[in-house]
Amino acid sequence: MDRMKEQDKLEALFAEYRAACPDPEPSAGFTPGLWRRIEARRSSNLKVFRMLAQVCVGATLALTVLIGLVLIPRFEQAPVASTTYADALAAEHPNTYVDIFAGEIK
Amino acid sequence: MLVDFELIERARSGDDSAFNQVVQTYRKRILGTIARLIGRPEDVEDVGQEVFVRLYYSLEQLRTPEVFEPWLYRLTVNAAYDYLRRQRRRQESRMSDLSEQQVVLADAAAGGKKREEEERRTRIRELVDSLLGQVSEEDRILLTLKEVEGLSLKELEKIYRVNENALKVRLFRARQRVLKAYESRQQ
Repeated sequence: MDRMKEQDKLEALFAEYRAACPDPEPSAGFTPGLWRRIEARRSSNLKVFRMLAQVCVGATLALTVLIGLVLIPRFEQAPVASTTYADALAAEHPNTYVDIFAGEIK
Repeated sequence: MLVDFELIERARSGDDSAFNQVVQTYRKRILGTIARLIGRPEDVEDVGQEVFVRLYYSLEQLRTPEVFEPWLYRLTVNAAYDYLRRQRRRQESRMSDLSEQQVVLADAAAGGKKREEEERRTRIRELVDSLLGQVSEEDRILLTLKEVEGLSLKELEKIYRVNENALKVRLFRARQRVLKAYESRQQ
Protein backbone atom coordinates (compact mmCIF):
# COMPACT_ATOMS: atom_id res chain seq x y z
CA MET A 1 0.00 0.00 0.00
CA ASP A 2 2.77 2.37 1.01
CA ARG A 3 4.66 1.31 -2.09
CA MET A 4 1.67 2.27 -4.25
CA LYS A 5 1.48 5.63 -2.54
CA GLU A 6 5.16 6.19 -3.18
CA GLN A 7 4.65 5.23 -6.83
CA ASP A 8 1.81 7.74 -7.13
CA LYS A 9 3.97 10.38 -5.49
CA LEU A 10 6.75 9.63 -7.93
CA GLU A 11 4.41 9.94 -10.88
CA ALA A 12 3.11 13.26 -9.56
CA LEU A 13 6.67 14.40 -9.04
CA PHE A 14 7.58 13.57 -12.64
CA ALA A 15 4.52 15.48 -13.85
CA GLU A 16 5.55 18.50 -11.79
CA TYR A 17 9.09 18.18 -13.07
CA ARG A 18 7.76 18.29 -16.63
CA ALA A 19 5.88 21.49 -15.81
CA ALA A 20 8.91 22.96 -14.06
CA CYS A 21 11.14 22.35 -17.09
CA PRO A 22 9.53 24.01 -20.10
CA ASP A 23 11.13 23.68 -23.55
CA PRO A 24 13.87 26.33 -23.74
CA GLU A 25 13.82 28.89 -26.54
CA PRO A 26 16.72 28.28 -28.92
CA SER A 27 19.18 31.16 -29.04
CA ALA A 28 19.61 33.24 -32.19
CA GLY A 29 22.95 31.56 -32.81
CA PHE A 30 21.57 28.02 -32.75
CA THR A 31 20.94 27.50 -36.47
CA PRO A 32 24.02 29.41 -37.74
CA GLY A 33 26.12 27.45 -35.22
CA LEU A 34 24.58 24.22 -36.45
CA TRP A 35 25.49 24.98 -40.08
CA ARG A 36 29.03 25.87 -39.03
CA ARG A 37 29.33 22.47 -37.36
CA ILE A 38 27.89 20.71 -40.41
CA GLU A 39 30.42 22.48 -42.64
CA ALA A 40 33.26 21.78 -40.22
CA ARG A 41 32.40 18.06 -40.17
CA ARG A 42 32.10 18.01 -43.95
CA SER A 43 35.56 19.54 -44.38
CA SER A 44 37.04 17.26 -41.74
CA ASN A 45 35.49 14.27 -43.58
CA LEU A 46 37.05 15.59 -46.78
CA LYS A 47 40.37 15.97 -45.00
CA VAL A 48 40.22 12.36 -43.83
CA PHE A 49 39.31 11.22 -47.35
CA ARG A 50 42.13 13.28 -48.83
CA MET A 51 44.56 11.88 -46.27
CA LEU A 52 43.46 8.33 -47.07
CA ALA A 53 43.86 9.01 -50.78
CA GLN A 54 47.36 10.39 -50.17
CA VAL A 55 48.26 7.37 -48.07
CA CYS A 56 47.03 5.06 -50.88
CA VAL A 57 48.97 6.97 -53.53
CA GLY A 58 52.10 6.97 -51.33
CA ALA A 59 51.80 3.24 -50.66
CA THR A 60 51.37 2.51 -54.38
CA LEU A 61 54.44 4.58 -55.23
CA ALA A 62 56.48 2.89 -52.52
CA LEU A 63 55.40 -0.54 -53.77
CA THR A 64 56.29 0.39 -57.34
CA VAL A 65 59.75 1.59 -56.28
CA LEU A 66 60.26 -1.56 -54.19
CA ILE A 67 59.29 -3.79 -57.08
CA GLY A 68 61.65 -1.82 -59.31
CA LEU A 69 64.54 -2.13 -56.86
CA VAL A 70 64.08 -5.77 -55.91
CA LEU A 71 62.63 -7.55 -58.91
CA ILE A 72 64.26 -5.86 -61.90
CA PRO A 73 67.87 -6.64 -60.83
CA ARG A 74 66.81 -10.27 -60.29
CA PHE A 75 65.47 -10.49 -63.82
CA GLU A 76 68.67 -8.99 -65.12
CA GLN A 77 70.80 -11.59 -63.30
CA ALA A 78 68.77 -14.54 -64.59
CA PRO A 79 70.62 -16.57 -67.29
CA VAL A 80 69.53 -15.63 -70.76
CA ALA A 81 69.09 -18.47 -73.22
CA SER A 82 71.75 -18.36 -75.91
CA THR A 83 70.09 -20.85 -78.23
CA THR A 84 66.68 -20.90 -79.80
CA TYR A 85 63.87 -23.02 -78.44
CA ALA A 86 64.02 -25.40 -81.40
CA ASP A 87 67.76 -25.97 -80.96
CA ALA A 88 67.41 -26.62 -77.24
CA LEU A 89 64.60 -29.07 -77.92
CA ALA A 90 66.64 -30.89 -80.57
CA ALA A 91 69.60 -31.16 -78.23
CA GLU A 92 67.52 -32.64 -75.45
CA HIS A 93 65.58 -35.14 -77.57
CA PRO A 94 67.72 -36.52 -80.38
CA ASN A 95 65.22 -37.72 -82.96
CA THR A 96 66.66 -41.11 -83.85
CA TYR A 97 63.50 -42.25 -85.63
CA VAL A 98 63.88 -39.53 -88.19
CA ASP A 99 67.55 -40.37 -88.60
CA ILE A 100 66.74 -44.06 -89.21
CA PHE A 101 64.06 -43.08 -91.65
CA ALA A 102 66.49 -40.88 -93.48
CA GLY A 103 68.92 -43.83 -93.71
CA GLU A 104 71.61 -42.20 -91.70
CA ILE A 105 71.53 -44.92 -89.00
CA LYS A 106 71.64 -48.49 -90.04
CA MET B 1 4.34 14.47 -37.22
CA LEU B 2 5.11 18.17 -37.11
CA VAL B 3 6.18 18.26 -40.77
CA ASP B 4 4.89 16.51 -43.87
CA PHE B 5 6.58 13.55 -45.49
CA GLU B 6 7.43 15.51 -48.60
CA LEU B 7 9.63 17.91 -46.62
CA ILE B 8 11.48 14.98 -45.05
CA GLU B 9 11.94 13.45 -48.52
CA ARG B 10 13.35 16.73 -49.83
CA ALA B 11 15.71 17.04 -46.87
CA ARG B 12 16.76 13.44 -47.38
CA SER B 13 17.59 14.07 -51.01
CA GLY B 14 19.98 16.86 -50.01
CA ASP B 15 17.79 19.99 -50.07
CA ASP B 16 19.40 22.21 -47.40
CA SER B 17 16.48 24.62 -47.17
CA ALA B 18 14.14 21.69 -46.46
CA PHE B 19 16.55 20.48 -43.79
CA ASN B 20 16.58 23.98 -42.33
CA GLN B 21 12.78 23.90 -42.10
CA VAL B 22 12.93 20.57 -40.31
CA VAL B 23 15.41 22.06 -37.82
CA GLN B 24 13.23 25.13 -37.25
CA THR B 25 10.22 22.91 -36.59
CA TYR B 26 11.80 20.42 -34.22
CA ARG B 27 14.57 22.35 -32.49
CA LYS B 28 12.50 23.66 -29.56
CA ARG B 29 11.02 20.26 -28.78
CA ILE B 30 14.38 18.52 -29.09
CA LEU B 31 16.10 21.12 -26.91
CA GLY B 32 13.38 20.63 -24.27
CA THR B 33 13.86 16.88 -24.31
CA ILE B 34 17.64 17.25 -24.08
CA ALA B 35 17.31 19.74 -21.21
CA ARG B 36 15.29 17.20 -19.24
CA LEU B 37 17.54 14.31 -20.21
CA ILE B 38 20.86 15.89 -19.28
CA GLY B 39 19.76 18.42 -16.66
CA ARG B 40 22.40 21.01 -17.58
CA PRO B 41 20.96 24.09 -19.30
CA GLU B 42 24.34 25.45 -20.35
CA ASP B 43 25.08 22.41 -22.53
CA VAL B 44 21.63 21.92 -24.06
CA GLU B 45 22.30 23.84 -27.29
CA ASP B 46 25.62 22.09 -27.81
CA VAL B 47 24.01 18.64 -27.53
CA GLY B 48 21.06 19.87 -29.64
CA GLN B 49 23.38 20.94 -32.44
CA GLU B 50 25.11 17.57 -32.25
CA VAL B 51 21.73 15.85 -32.70
CA PHE B 52 20.95 17.85 -35.84
CA VAL B 53 24.46 17.38 -37.24
CA ARG B 54 24.01 13.62 -36.83
CA LEU B 55 20.58 13.91 -38.42
CA TYR B 56 22.05 15.78 -41.40
CA TYR B 57 24.63 13.09 -42.04
CA SER B 58 22.37 10.11 -41.41
CA LEU B 59 19.18 11.29 -43.07
CA GLU B 60 19.90 9.41 -46.28
CA GLN B 61 19.86 6.15 -44.29
CA LEU B 62 16.26 6.77 -43.23
CA ARG B 63 14.15 4.05 -44.86
CA THR B 64 10.82 5.90 -44.93
CA PRO B 65 9.71 9.36 -43.75
CA GLU B 66 7.09 7.67 -41.52
CA VAL B 67 9.77 6.65 -39.06
CA PHE B 68 11.37 10.10 -38.97
CA GLU B 69 10.28 11.09 -35.44
CA PRO B 70 11.41 7.88 -33.69
CA TRP B 71 14.64 8.23 -35.69
CA LEU B 72 15.14 11.79 -34.44
CA TYR B 73 14.36 10.72 -30.88
CA ARG B 74 16.84 7.89 -31.20
CA LEU B 75 19.54 10.35 -32.28
CA THR B 76 18.57 12.60 -29.36
CA VAL B 77 18.78 9.75 -26.87
CA ASN B 78 22.15 8.64 -28.24
CA ALA B 79 23.59 12.17 -28.12
CA ALA B 80 22.29 12.68 -24.56
CA TYR B 81 23.68 9.30 -23.56
CA ASP B 82 27.10 10.14 -25.04
CA TYR B 83 27.05 13.46 -23.22
CA LEU B 84 26.15 11.86 -19.87
CA ARG B 85 28.88 9.26 -20.29
CA ARG B 86 31.44 11.98 -21.07
CA GLN B 87 30.30 13.87 -17.99
CA ARG B 88 30.66 10.81 -15.81
CA ARG B 89 34.14 10.26 -17.20
CA ARG B 90 35.05 13.81 -16.30
CA GLN B 91 33.71 13.06 -12.83
CA GLU B 92 32.04 16.37 -12.57
CA SER B 93 29.68 16.84 -9.71
CA ARG B 94 26.25 17.54 -11.12
CA MET B 95 24.82 18.51 -7.79
CA SER B 96 27.33 21.24 -7.08
CA ASP B 97 26.84 22.66 -10.57
CA LEU B 98 23.09 22.58 -10.17
CA SER B 99 23.37 24.33 -6.86
CA GLU B 100 25.23 27.17 -8.54
CA GLN B 101 22.55 27.32 -11.16
CA GLN B 102 19.85 27.39 -8.50
CA VAL B 103 21.55 30.30 -6.81
CA VAL B 104 21.56 32.22 -10.09
CA LEU B 105 17.93 31.36 -10.72
CA ALA B 106 16.92 32.32 -7.20
CA ASP B 107 18.71 35.63 -7.54
CA ALA B 108 17.05 36.30 -10.86
CA ALA B 109 13.57 35.58 -9.58
CA ALA B 110 11.99 38.82 -8.62
CA GLY B 111 9.39 39.49 -5.94
CA GLY B 112 7.00 37.49 -3.72
CA LYS B 113 4.77 35.00 -5.53
CA LYS B 114 6.85 34.74 -8.64
CA ARG B 115 9.86 34.10 -6.51
CA GLU B 116 8.03 31.50 -4.43
CA GLU B 117 6.84 29.72 -7.54
CA GLU B 118 10.32 29.76 -9.00
CA GLU B 119 11.73 28.41 -5.76
CA ARG B 120 9.18 25.60 -5.74
CA ARG B 121 10.04 24.70 -9.34
CA THR B 122 13.69 24.86 -8.49
CA ARG B 123 13.19 22.47 -5.58
CA ILE B 124 11.32 20.02 -7.82
CA ARG B 125 13.98 20.23 -10.52
CA GLU B 126 16.68 19.70 -7.94
CA LEU B 127 14.88 16.78 -6.33
CA VAL B 128 14.12 14.96 -9.60
CA ASP B 129 17.58 15.67 -10.99
CA SER B 130 19.17 14.28 -7.85
CA LEU B 131 16.92 11.19 -7.95
CA LEU B 132 17.74 10.59 -11.60
CA GLY B 133 21.38 11.29 -10.85
CA GLN B 134 21.43 8.26 -8.57
CA VAL B 135 20.50 5.77 -11.29
CA SER B 136 22.38 4.79 -14.44
CA GLU B 137 22.30 6.88 -17.63
CA GLU B 138 20.16 4.19 -19.27
CA ASP B 139 17.57 4.30 -16.49
CA ARG B 140 17.59 8.08 -16.42
CA ILE B 141 16.98 8.38 -20.15
CA LEU B 142 14.33 5.67 -20.28
CA LEU B 143 12.40 7.08 -17.33
CA THR B 144 12.62 10.63 -18.63
CA LEU B 145 11.29 9.61 -22.03
CA LYS B 146 8.42 7.62 -20.51
CA GLU B 147 7.45 9.58 -17.41
CA VAL B 148 8.45 13.12 -18.29
CA GLU B 149 8.30 13.28 -22.09
CA GLY B 150 5.19 11.10 -22.05
CA LEU B 151 6.24 8.79 -24.88
CA SER B 152 4.13 5.67 -25.30
CA LEU B 153 5.50 2.15 -25.14
CA LYS B 154 4.94 1.85 -28.90
CA GLU B 155 7.07 4.94 -29.50
CA LEU B 156 9.74 3.66 -27.12
CA GLU B 157 9.73 0.33 -28.96
CA LYS B 158 10.65 2.12 -32.18
CA ILE B 159 13.36 4.15 -30.47
CA TYR B 160 14.96 1.31 -28.54
CA ARG B 161 14.18 -1.40 -31.11
CA VAL B 162 13.17 -3.87 -28.40
CA ASN B 163 9.78 -5.43 -27.75
CA GLU B 164 7.17 -4.07 -25.37
CA ASN B 165 7.67 -6.71 -22.70
CA ALA B 166 11.40 -6.09 -22.48
CA LEU B 167 10.69 -2.38 -22.18
CA LYS B 168 8.15 -2.96 -19.42
CA VAL B 169 10.67 -4.96 -17.45
CA ARG B 170 13.35 -2.30 -17.90
CA LEU B 171 10.91 0.44 -16.93
CA PHE B 172 9.75 -1.45 -13.86
CA ARG B 173 13.32 -1.96 -12.67
CA ALA B 174 14.26 1.65 -13.37
CA ARG B 175 11.19 2.86 -11.45
CA GLN B 176 12.08 0.61 -8.52
CA ARG B 177 15.58 2.03 -8.39
CA VAL B 178 14.33 5.62 -8.43
CA LEU B 179 11.70 4.76 -5.85
CA LYS B 180 14.36 3.31 -3.60
CA ALA B 181 16.40 6.49 -3.94
CA TYR B 182 13.25 8.53 -3.24
CA GLU B 183 12.43 6.52 -0.12
CA SER B 184 15.94 6.72 1.25
CA ARG B 185 15.87 10.46 0.67
CA GLN B 186 12.62 10.82 2.58
CA GLN B 187 13.87 8.85 5.59
